[in-house]
Amino acid sequence: MLNGILTGALYALVGMGMALIFGVMRIVNFAHGAFMMLGMYAAYVLFQHTKINPYIGFLFAGVVLFALGWLTYKGLLKPIRGQSDFMQILLTLGLSLILSDGILLIFGADYHQINIPLLGKNIHIGPHITFNAPWVISFFIALVLAALLYVFVMRTMIGRAARAIAQNRYAAPLMGINVHRVQAISFGVGVAAAGIAGALLLPVFYLYPGVGDQFTLKAFVMVVLGGMGSIQGAAFAGLVLGVVESLTSLYWGNEWALAVDFVIFILVLSLKPSGLFGSQRV
Amino acid sequence: MAAFLEIDHVSKRFGGLRAINNVSFTIQRDEIAFIVGPNGAGKTTLFNLISGVYHPDEGSIRFDGQELSNFRPDQAAKLGIGRTFQIVKPLRNLTVLENVMLGAFLHTSSPSKAAEEAREVLRYLQMEKAMSFPASGLPLPMLKRLEIARALATKPKLILLDEVVAGLSTTEALALAALLKRLPEWGIAAVGGVEHVMQVVMSVAHRVIVLDHGTLIAEGTPQEVVHKPEVIEAYLGTKYKEMGL
Amino acid sequence: MKRSYLLIAAVAFALSLLVPLVVRTDYVLQILFRIYLFAALGLAWNLVGGYTGQLSLGHAAYFGAGAYGLAILSREGLPLWLSLICAVLVALLFAWLIGGVSFRLRGPYFALATIAFAEVLRVLAKNLVKLTGGDVGIQVPPMFTSAVIGKFYLSSVGLTILAFGITVGISHSRFGYYLMAIRDDEDTALSVGVNAARVKLYALFISAALTAIAGALYGSLFLFVVPDQVLSIDISNEIAIVAMLGGAGTVLGPIVGAVVLESASELLKSIFQEAHLLIYGVLLVVVVLFMPEGVVGTIQSVFRRKELAPPPGFVKPQAQAPVIK
Repeated sequence: MLNGILTGALYALVGMGMALIFGVMRIVNFAHGAFMMLGMYAAYVLFQHTKINPYIGFLFAGVVLFALGWLTYKGLLKPIRGQSDFMQILLTLGLSLILSDGILLIFGADYHQINIPLLGKNIHIGPHITFNAPWVISFFIALVLAALLYVFVMRTMIGRAARAIAQNRYAAPLMGINVHRVQAISFGVGVAAAGIAGALLLPVFYLYPGVGDQFTLKAFVMVVLGGMGSIQGAAFAGLVLGVVESLTSLYWGNEWALAVDFVIFILVLSLKPSGLFGSQRV
Repeated sequence: MAAFLEIDHVSKRFGGLRAINNVSFTIQRDEIAFIVGPNGAGKTTLFNLISGVYHPDEGSIRFDGQELSNFRPDQAAKLGIGRTFQIVKPLRNLTVLENVMLGAFLHTSSPSKAAEEAREVLRYLQMEKAMSFPASGLPLPMLKRLEIARALATKPKLILLDEVVAGLSTTEALALAALLKRLPEWGIAAVGGVEHVMQVVMSVAHRVIVLDHGTLIAEGTPQEVVHKPEVIEAYLGTKYKEMGL
Repeated sequence: MKRSYLLIAAVAFALSLLVPLVVRTDYVLQILFRIYLFAALGLAWNLVGGYTGQLSLGHAAYFGAGAYGLAILSREGLPLWLSLICAVLVALLFAWLIGGVSFRLRGPYFALATIAFAEVLRVLAKNLVKLTGGDVGIQVPPMFTSAVIGKFYLSSVGLTILAFGITVGISHSRFGYYLMAIRDDEDTALSVGVNAARVKLYALFISAALTAIAGALYGSLFLFVVPDQVLSIDISNEIAIVAMLGGAGTVLGPIVGAVVLESASELLKSIFQEAHLLIYGVLLVVVVLFMPEGVVGTIQSVFRRKELAPPPGFVKPQAQAPVIK
């Protein structure tokens, strides 16, 4: 179960990114997982060429993904801003296909893995509890980043501007907010969060072009579970998801984990659509 | 004779806000009544309660003998309550005729019959020329008429007109009022909601009900209501003039 | 206008039925099968997605129900035709469950819920090994034993004709108007007495039934199905994209969409091998950015703009000229 918390922290990072994009900005981003996958590949390429391990390399992934996210918003999402959610779904779906197939063409469909000396190290606390070192490091990095993300959304000017836009699209520009600039940056940040989570995941996960797909759906589950508009809610939901999945794997086997995620999702949508911490109606 | 529409000690809360506070009044079968009150007084909430969009927390609403308190909006419509919305809600991708046909479909399942009835209603509202235009292209006065046409096509016994003249010029408003005045001839009672008493209300309404912050503060004929001190107090300053004294 | 379209469609369908007399290659017939199957799937999806405006990305649930239903029930001894009917009933049961929960949700939540349900079914299919064969898959009985591909092709054309007929019938009926009203503004529809919840569910039932039959055909042609093939999100996406690309909410749209997408897909697969998904994605992005109403929808808009511009004298001077989008 404790391992679940470690996984959960990384999930939380992905989820918080989505909370910013979907929860606050109401952009339905089906390419979120693909961006995470790109983060993984970015860290991988960095490692292959410079031997810099992902626990530092994630910064590179973050920057690359921020730029990509920013470009995506400016080039693809801004033009369709007036249209229905449906269109956003299709657009980001298309983007997701382009990204994963593109990576497939460049890197091939093979599974990749990286080997760093840290992988074998374990941390023991007492006779019964063992943590795998890489997971622990990821956990702490994720924790710090999550905190930073929270501060970004709640305290900084841009974060506040993004929330203001979400509450009232028409009043925001009247307050001097440059809507598209704020949204482009916010989208970039949200995507970067996913990319960083990917980079941190690299040492302990198999890398292949399709790895991101499951994360897109899980990210949505986290945002709904945590409550729309609530960054901390999504983070908490990420932890919950991580724990639930590891417990499920323990008692029922790995395969059921995804189903359990979705059952929770459906239950939340039917019974308490505003989520655990959310304030908005669905 | 039992009243047509009975609002009986109805209250509705939203969180901490009492939107409607212990309101009671009745509407007769061939009456035109207007609910008057500044924005936020609770008119739309009241309309939503009558048409089934909200349900009262306390009290009950009875229509033609039927207890309405737990009805869905479509059930209220089937009972004979038609309504227009304050912020017009046309079906943008359909034509004017198709919009009104939707109302006519309540009583017929044949598209040709519905079209016939819709045409009749549109003729009454002087909108025949606009029949094949998409609803999305219409100016506001026509959209307001479209709302009424659609509601009338359902052959209601009672029609709720929320801010039906808001945003119209005086000429437009009076033209509409002349049409509304004839509704009781066809057995349709009407309840309108407006922000303040004006010429329209004075010339059309049999009765006026004044709401302020969710509470009923006065009731009577337009002439009576306009002189009541509580009403004048609720409308201070420049609005004094518009009371038609 | 409609009469001539119907005539053209009838002729096209009649010609399609004659194709197996001319085309003998199994490979080509199989591609045509796929095109018609997705035309039917697109039309079925369109009832819910296009006309009613409910973006379902979980139609694989019904597709898989059809395929697996046929397979499992046949294995348990029921005759083929009965298995097919029961498979459709199973799909209807799923539709009832899924619709009951999902239709209460608006906007993207509806889409997400439909995805969630389909995924749950996929995982169930993978794990309830005794029932479904799990990841290994399950055998599906062949519906035809001679001139197989040709007959499957004809069946898919038949299904498309059925779906087309149903769509045309609905679009001229009160039910169709109710669907479109719900799409434009559900509250308005309620205010004129439309029981939106029930109407949406009925549309879903029809959609699910057609989709299930398509699934059964698909499974029967390949004689074998696995969860990742018939219950995957890829199938759901493909179905929705076919309709959107051609033009959701139009009668011809899904058919056009299927022809374009499936033939492009085949073509790209043979030329580019692995890059076809990428080009698929590019197509999607291009359509959303430049042709959001789909091929047929965009063409129709252009015509409508010319037909319905009001005469110059109509509008009163103080109001603005109507802008038709």
